[in-house]
Amino acid sequence: MPIRISDQKLATLYANLERQRLTNPAVKIGDSQVLALLAEVGDRAGSSSSKVLQKLQAPGMTFQQKVELIKKGMSASEKTDLGTILDSGTVPLEASAKQLLEAVLDRNSPPPPAGDGSLKITGDQHAGITGTAKAGDAIEAINLTTAPGGRLHMDDTMVIGHADNFGKFSANALPDMQEGDLIRMRARHSDGSTGDWVTVKAHGLGASDSRNAVVALFRIGLTDAGGGKVNVANINESRQVSEPGATLQLTNQRTGEKTKVTVTETGGFPAGFSVNGKAGDVFAVAASDGKNNLTFATEVGRLTVPGGTPGTVDLVKDPALHKDELNPDGTPRFEKRRFTGPLFKDGASPMDVQQGQLGDCYFPSAMAALAQNNADAVQNMIKENGDGTYTVTWKEKDWATGQFKDVPIKIDGDLYVRSWGGPLYGASLGSDKGEKTMELWFPLIEKSYAQWKGSYNTIGSGGMSNDVFEAVLGRDGESQSVYPGNEDSVWRTLTKAIDDKQPVSAGTHGESESALYTNTGVYADHSYSVLGYEVKNGEKYVKLRNPWGESEPAGNGPNDGVFLLKLKDFNKLYQTLMYT
Amino acid sequence: MALPPEPLEEVLPKATWVVDAEVKEVVSQGPAVPKVQAPAGHTSVGAKTASQVVKLTVKRVLRGETKTTEIVAEKPVAGYALKAGNHGPFLLDGSKPNPMILGRYGPDSYAFSAIETALKRAKA
Repeated sequence: MPIRISDQKLATLYANLERQRLTNPAVKIGDSQVLALLAEVGDRAGSSSSKVLQKLQAPGMTFQQKVELIKKGMSASEKTDLGTILDSGTVPLEASAKQLLEAVLDRNSPPPPAGDGSLKITGDQHAGITGTAKAGDAIEAINLTTAPGGRLHMDDTMVIGHADNFGKFSANALPDMQEGDLIRMRARHSDGSTGDWVTVKAHGLGASDSRNAVVALFRIGLTDAGGGKVNVANINESRQVSEPGATLQLTNQRTGEKTKVTVTETGGFPAGFSVNGKAGDVFAVAASDGKNNLTFATEVGRLTVPGGTPGTVDLVKDPALHKDELNPDGTPRFEKRRFTGPLFKDGASPMDVQQGQLGDCYFPSAMAALAQNNADAVQNMIKENGDGTYTVTWKEKDWATGQFKDVPIKIDGDLYVRSWGGPLYGASLGSDKGEKTMELWFPLIEKSYAQWKGSYNTIGSGGMSNDVFEAVLGRDGESQSVYPGNEDSVWRTLTKAIDDKQPVSAGTHGESESALYTNTGVYADHSYSVLGYEVKNGEKYVKLRNPWGESEPAGNGPNDGVFLLKLKDFNKLYQTLMYT
Repeated sequence: MALPPEPLEEVLPKATWVVDAEVKEVVSQGPAVPKVQAPAGHTSVGAKTASQVVKLTVKRVLRGETKTTEIVAEKPVAGYALKAGNHGPFLLDGSKPNPMILGRYGPDSYAFSAIETALKRAKA
C-alpha cells in the first residue's frame, strides 16, 4: 500500500521508486536515490533541487556538510515526509541511505566521520568493530595480544571490512578476539597508502578481561654484558615479545632481585634495557597486562643467560655411553661437559646436523630430513626449561588405540666430549663446538632419544629413520624397497613425498666382499637424508646428504655431504626409501 | 658400520706410511665374518667384511720411504672391502709382516686435501 507523502515532488520521486520495485523487487533506495530525494527537500535554501543535488554530489562534500545543507532548506512538512519514508516506506533503504536520513532527522545515528577521514572506532566490540574512515577505505586489523604466540609481524594485519560511501564501516570481530585484547587497526586507502595506527582495548565481549598478555619467551635474548649486567633484547625485532604496554617482571633466581619493564609500542624492550646478573643466571619471567596476574605470581617460563660456568652437579641423570666407549669395569672412557649455548641460532636446518661416533646414522639423517621439510616440528619439540634442563617431547604409538601420545623427556646440557672438547656423539656441524656457543638442538634431541630408549648403546647399533619420523610427527611412517628396475616407482614416491613436505631418508645395502661401495663416494650400511630431486637435461637426480656433514661422490662441489646422484645409481646403491 | 671415519688427528700419528696408491690385486682373504641379523631396512647395524691382504701400487708417498713403489698391506675386518682398481690415500701402520690399513673406510676415509693439511700442521 503506497505511503502518504504531502510534498508533491517528493511524492512523485518516491512513487517512481515504488513502481520500479513492483517490476524489480531488488530495487532499494541507495546513495544516489536518497540524495535525489533529499535534494528536493533542500531546495528551499535559495537553490533549485538540481543545484542542491550537484552540491550534495560534489567531491569532498563531507557527511556533516550534506546533512547541514539539507536541513537548511527542509520544511516541517518535508521533515514529516522523510520520517514517513524512513519509518513506513515500502522501498527498502540501504544502510548508508538510512544513516543519512536518520542524521537529517536528528535521529540517534552514529557520529559522522571526521572531516579528515582518519580512522575512528565507535562503540564497543559486542557486535564487531565499527567506526568511520575515508569512504572506500579497507580496514585492517591485528590482535596484538595473541600475535606474540604466533609468527606474526606487527603489520601482518587482516582486512576486516570496508568503509562505505559515507565512510562508515561495520566489521566482524577478529577471530578469537576476547574482552581486553589489544586490537591494532589502520585504514588502507584506495591508492594503497595507509593511515595512522589506531589501537583499542576490545570491550563488550565478556564480563571481564581474563586473557593475560602472551609472551614469546623464545624471542627474549639475554646476554652477559659484563660488569654485573645482563642485556635484555628482542632477538627478532620484526615480531613482538608481548603486547605493547604489558609489564614483564624478570626475577633473578640467584639474587632474588625483581626488575619490571614495560613493553614498548613495537612489542619489545626499551633500547639498552638491562638487568643485574651474570652468565649462567636463571631469570623467571612473568607478565601482566594490567588486569591479569597483577602480582606476577604466574610465571611464563625461565631463561638462562648463556655462557655460565659449567656446573658440577648432574641436573638429570644422563644416558649411558655406547659399550665401545666404556672401560672394562664399566666406567666411561670419556668425560662430560655442560653445554650452555643457544638451542637454535637460525632455526633448524639440515646443515646443522653432524653424526658423531655412534652407529645411529638413521637418527641424524632423519633429523636433517625433518629440518629440511618440517623445521617447525623440530623447533617445537624441544623447550628450554630455564633451569639448565630441557624437555624434548616425543610421540609414542599406543598400539591398543592406534593413537600417538606425548612422551616428554627431560635432559640437561651435559654431553660426552673428546679430549679436545668437541662432542663425542652428535654435534652441530661447523667449527663452533664451544661449550658456551655451539647450537644445541641436534645433540640434545639425540641425547633425549638415547635417554628415552635407554642409552646411547641402545640407539647406537642401527635402526630405521621411519621410527624417528613417527616419534617426531606422531604419524605412521612408510617405506619402499629400492632396487635396479623400479626407478619409476621410486621416483614417483620420492617426488611426491618431497613435494608434500614430508621428511625422506634412504638407506644403503650392507657391504659385501664384492666391494660394491668402495670409491663410489657412497657408504655401505648407511642412512642418508633425501633433501630433494632435480631433472637436468632429461636425467633424473636424487639430492642426498650424508649425516657426517662430509664425504660424498666426487664432483659435487664443497665437501659438505650434499650431492646429486643419478636415479639409476641411486637404485643400484640404495635399498630402502623411508618417509611419513 | 656407518660411523664417520675416526678423527684424522687421532689416526695420523699412528700412520708410518701415507701413500697415494691403487689396489693391484687381492692376494688373500680371511675367514668370512658372520652376517649381522637385522630387521629389513635397518641401517648402521655394523655389518663387516672379512680381512684381506692386498698388493698396493704406490703412485706417491706423502709419509714414509719415498722410493717405495709397492706395498703388501692388510685390510682388517671392517665395514668396507677392497678389490683391484680401488684407489686413494692409504694410511698404513708399522705392523709386521704386513702393515695394517688404517681408517674406518680405508682409501675412502679421508680426502687428500685434509691429509695434506694435517701433515703440514704436524710438521710445523
